[in-house]
Amino acid sequence: MNTLAYIDLLQYTLDGTLTGVLYAVIAIAFIVVYRAGRILNFAQGEVIIFMAYIIWTLIALARLPVWVVIPLSLAVAMILGLVIERGIFRPLIGQPIWALVMVTIGLMILIQGITQVIWGGGERPFPLLFPRAPVKIGPLLFSSSIFWGGLISLFIVLGLALVFEKTRWGLRLTAVAENHQVAQAMGISVKSSIAIAWMIGWALSSFAAVVFLNGKVLTFAAAAIGLHALPVVLLAGLESIGGALLAGIIMGIGESWASAFLDPYTAGASSQAFPYVLMLIVLLVRPQGLFGWKIIERV
Amino acid sequence: MAILPCGVHFETYRQHLAYLRTRPQWTVFILLMLLLAGLPQILSVRFIAMISMATMISIAVVGLQITTGYAGLLNLGQSAFMGMGAFVCGSLAVNFNLPFWITIPAGGLGGAMLGAVFGIPALRIKGFYLAITTIAAQVIFPLIIMHMPNRWFGGAIGLNLEPARLGSITFNSDISLYYFIIGAAVIMLFLAFNLVRCRVGRALIAVRDNDIAAEMTGINLFYYKTLAFAIGAGYAGVAGGLWSYYLRYVGADQFTLYFSVWYMGMLIVGGLGSILGAILGTFFIRALQEFITALAPILVQYLPQTGSAAIWFAGMNILLGGIIILFLIYEPRGLYHRWNILKTSYRIWPFPYL
Repeated sequence: MNTLAYIDLLQYTLDGTLTGVLYAVIAIAFIVVYRAGRILNFAQGEVIIFMAYIIWTLIALARLPVWVVIPLSLAVAMILGLVIERGIFRPLIGQPIWALVMVTIGLMILIQGITQVIWGGGERPFPLLFPRAPVKIGPLLFSSSIFWGGLISLFIVLGLALVFEKTRWGLRLTAVAENHQVAQAMGISVKSSIAIAWMIGWALSSFAAVVFLNGKVLTFAAAAIGLHALPVVLLAGLESIGGALLAGIIMGIGESWASAFLDPYTAGASSQAFPYVLMLIVLLVRPQGLFGWKIIERV
Repeated sequence: MAILPCGVHFETYRQHLAYLRTRPQWTVFILLMLLLAGLPQILSVRFIAMISMATMISIAVVGLQITTGYAGLLNLGQSAFMGMGAFVCGSLAVNFNLPFWITIPAGGLGGAMLGAVFGIPALRIKGFYLAITTIAAQVIFPLIIMHMPNRWFGGAIGLNLEPARLGSITFNSDISLYYFIIGAAVIMLFLAFNLVRCRVGRALIAVRDNDIAAEMTGINLFYYKTLAFAIGAGYAGVAGGLWSYYLRYVGADQFTLYFSVWYMGMLIVGGLGSILGAILGTFFIRALQEFITALAPILVQYLPQTGSAAIWFAGMNILLGGIIILFLIYEPRGLYHRWNILKTSYRIWPFPYL
């Protein structure tokens, strides 16, 4: 193997890593919400697209500058997250799991319908928020949205992991994740923790919308990204925030390698199938994922 | 089971076990059958077609009721199982020219087998993990259909069927298809009503209420969970078989995750844990869907930015999502519970409470 091949391999690996970090952001949006209320939010992809449409409206129609739009969209996301939690998920505390699964699927379809009514079905160019020029480091070349998005995501993921493991505030949320009754007995408000989790989940979705759709075409089909991050969530385990980073990177590199080395032989199918195949293997071999908590069930 | 009215008592086990136990019940049942037989004389063809469609779907939803409502196993792949039934039935009819009374049961069997395969993981995983597995069935199903030899399932083009024939009768008009579907539905519902009362049904309920405790009382979890999926998917398969004779065209895009969610929505609206609830929910939602279809041209005038093509879809989405959420929050026991309250208060009238 000559030097060029090594550089190609390095390029694919780093591309995969940065994409994987983005997956980790979406995965953490899933995980934060799951930890708090034992709700796997199937509507995650739709939430991202809904926020993307709001950001598009703020930039393209209201013509606000970017440095206003990003904090504003985060605030809107948090308010919406709070409203959804209060309106839909709080009345369902203590309901069986199928009800929680179905309510998130209902939410997913409701958001699709509402988005179509407000914004219609057409395609829209999502604004370019990062510099257009690709980033060049030595012989390596990165597309700017992957590079900057990946770097910012890395900081956010590491920051969140640190908050949840080290600060008093984050540890409260972790305690709620472990056991509602015990947390309540320790004087932690379970209800407000769940509300905070939803706000974080929506804020992360809003951020993910910016990074993912930067300069791309905004249609409803992009909501598939939520389903795409599900394998990362299951690989990481539904409770682990730090694990999501590693799982995201594994998934990103795997996908990047599959698309570079296997796709030429399988007409593009391997990189698409890779996350789901990995997910099925994880579900069968180790249902709690790499870092999830194994919960022992008692009658 | 709602309480019995005053003065009704049984002297033998046979009487107690009978499904229709009193004279008024028999009267109502016979009247219902006469009504079903006479409907085509009363209603216009359009309504008859709607009822046929709803009846067909209610068979699939009853199957889902057995898997999800009775055995407590979340199933978001019912539409794929229905599709399997439709393709098996269609393929046998097109390639081997078999009569419908072989192809439709074969379709049911095909659906049951696919359901059993995807039900196997239910032994190890629960809740949303299971939901994800059944969604995987939904994703994998069209891939299987598309990649089989074209002669088997028609590949990307689909299958075109000849109408079903029985002796000299050809089921090709709306009214004859209505009788065809109602006949099949009566058989399937009779089996379902009795299935949930027998040993299997009780075992499934025990599994739903607590599977670990059920296993302790001697219920073979693997057997019953797989059976629950197989029976539920078998119902979907029969519905799919009817579907293939009704539309006389079968294509992979008719059986998507979206329809599985609709079926779950119908189940939730009807109420989990009752066969009658599944039927009520299906007819209620179908009626609302027809309402949205009728309303869409008017809505377009108020929401011009959505466009006339998207408004129907958007309206359906808001209806489906909204109704699932509202019922889960405000009436998780569904329409069946309301019906029971009505029935009980009629029986114990003039006393206000149970």
